Amino acid sequence: MNGTHRLAQVPPGVQCFVGEEARRRRRIEEVVVSVFEGWDYEEIIPPLFDYADVFTGEALAPKTYSFVGRDGNVLALRPDFTSLLAKIAAGRLRDRKAPMRLYYSGEVVRYEPVKAGRQSELHQMGLEHLGGEARAADAEVLAIAAECLERLGASEWVLAVGHVGIFNGLVEGVGLDAERLEALRERVESKDPAGVRASLEGSGLEGAAAAALERLTAMAGGTDVLDDAARVLAFCPPAARAVDELRAVVDALRAAGLADRLAVDLAEVRGLDYYTGLVFRIFARGLGFEVGGGGRYDTLLGRFGRPLGAVGFMLGLDRVALLLDRQGRAPEVTPAPAAAIGGGDLGAALAEAREKRASGTRVRFGNGEER
Amino acid sequence: MSLTVALSKGKLLAGSEALFRRAGLPFPDGEGRRLVVEAGSLRFLFVKDMDVPTYVEYGVADCGVAGRDVLLETGADVLEPLDLGFGRCRLVVASPAGSGFAPHRAATTRVASKYAKVAAGHFLGRGLAVEVVRLAGSVEIAPGLGLADCIVDVVETGRTLAENGLEVIETVAESSARLIVNRASFHARRDEVQRLVETLRRTSR
Repeated sequence: MNGTHRLAQVPPGVQCFVGEEARRRRRIEEVVVSVFEGWDYEEIIPPLFDYADVFTGEALAPKTYSFVGRDGNVLALRPDFTSLLAKIAAGRLRDRKAPMRLYYSGEVVRYEPVKAGRQSELHQMGLEHLGGEARAADAEVLAIAAECLERLGASEWVLAVGHVGIFNGLVEGVGLDAERLEALRERVESKDPAGVRASLEGSGLEGAAAAALERLTAMAGGTDVLDDAARVLAFCPPAARAVDELRAVVDALRAAGLADRLAVDLAEVRGLDYYTGLVFRIFARGLGFEVGGGGRYDTLLGRFGRPLGAVGFMLGLDRVALLLDRQGRAPEVTPAPAAAIGGGDLGAALAEAREKRASGTRVRFGNGEER
Repeated sequence: MSLTVALSKGKLLAGSEALFRRAGLPFPDGEGRRLVVEAGSLRFLFVKDMDVPTYVEYGVADCGVAGRDVLLETGADVLEPLDLGFGRCRLVVASPAGSGFAPHRAATTRVASKYAKVAAGHFLGRGLAVEVVRLAGSVEIAPGLGLADCIVDVVETGRTLAENGLEVIETVAESSARLIVNRASFHARRDEVQRLVETLRRTSR
């Protein structure tokens, strides 16, 4: 084909940012990191790869780029920060007292279909709150997510909160086989009541629990959904407890002025399989996909030998950049014009450039052709 | 800004129009060739049936009407709050009538289909090797001409199958028209979306 060169081809899933694009991303990252720092989180720069079994989990394992190391061990490029941070908290940081507040900003790599600003290499900015009182930590993390969006200047965004304990409570102890459970979860996530009914046929799960699972598909909207949920789920103690936990967090956020930014979505049971409690996703007008999300994972650290509850969230830098662009709110990053310096006497010109730089002026240095 | 609704130009169009009119919702008049049409409080996109889920998944359309068959094939991550009840059909495996064809007797089954993903998933999921021949249409003639052993396709009455000497071996999935909603629109434009869903729910009941 015209204009192609074998070596100029790029593999699917990679991208590169130049000039203004790169400046915007850097600015977005600075804003988000300053919010994380403002809530007294410490930066952690974890390794780019680790043993592959750190990242096992049904959702991530098939998306992981793994390879065999020189010593024969299977290694993987990090597909996710959370597992890595859990491991580090249980290992290198084992003597640190909980709660620990850690944040990160960097790339993860996943085999994933390219979609809406999400390539195989994604830049995630996120934090983890490890240990500590659970409801306070949940509320804090949601408040930090909200502040990030405020500081970024995004508009018409929503935090959609749910709790995986509701779905899990309803199916607990019923003995559904794994395949049926997956099909059921998938239909609940799609808010498809007819599909939920169909996937429960002949499962042995019936009566109040079956009716509640079907109702779950419609339990999404304003925070008043929780009142309805408390009534419908009263018969199932674990699910009712989950609703109470969620309500405690929602009430705190409402009291803190975030009532208009909250949506409740009890059919929101997707996400990575390590979530055990609160889950949330951030949506905004102008972008059909979530901008970020997070949740509580109380069993993950136990896998690494330090049982500790935790909650975290992340924003996708690519998604944030795309959203701000669509909303006409991309950060203004045009630098001041540079002073052109150069000329015949190279030494004198360089001395002048250094002087200008010492006073903070942006310079463009060149041997005459820049004038 | 008005909500955007993606509709199929294909077989679900008549049912969608009837539903919207019955519900008292705006719908574009006339047989125009325009593919993006404003009508009252809604904006309509008329696209290929296989593309409806994509427009909705990306949020270019807030809502859409798509067959369950198409949703299975595209695997689009969208909400499906309503079974609209029309456009009922079945996705089936069909092979030449009287041929006694049975997939588990062949080392590899050759399947012709527009639904390549559904077809592959159906056989592979049961531990059967499969070679999918992807076609864009007229799938029914493939077995007779030796292109494939069987087909995976939608049937409503079964007449087209019979006319081409095929019979249904098994059902892969039942299908009907679904109202689909973008995940972000569902929350970011909650009031408008909920109103539309409720209006259509009352009408399609």
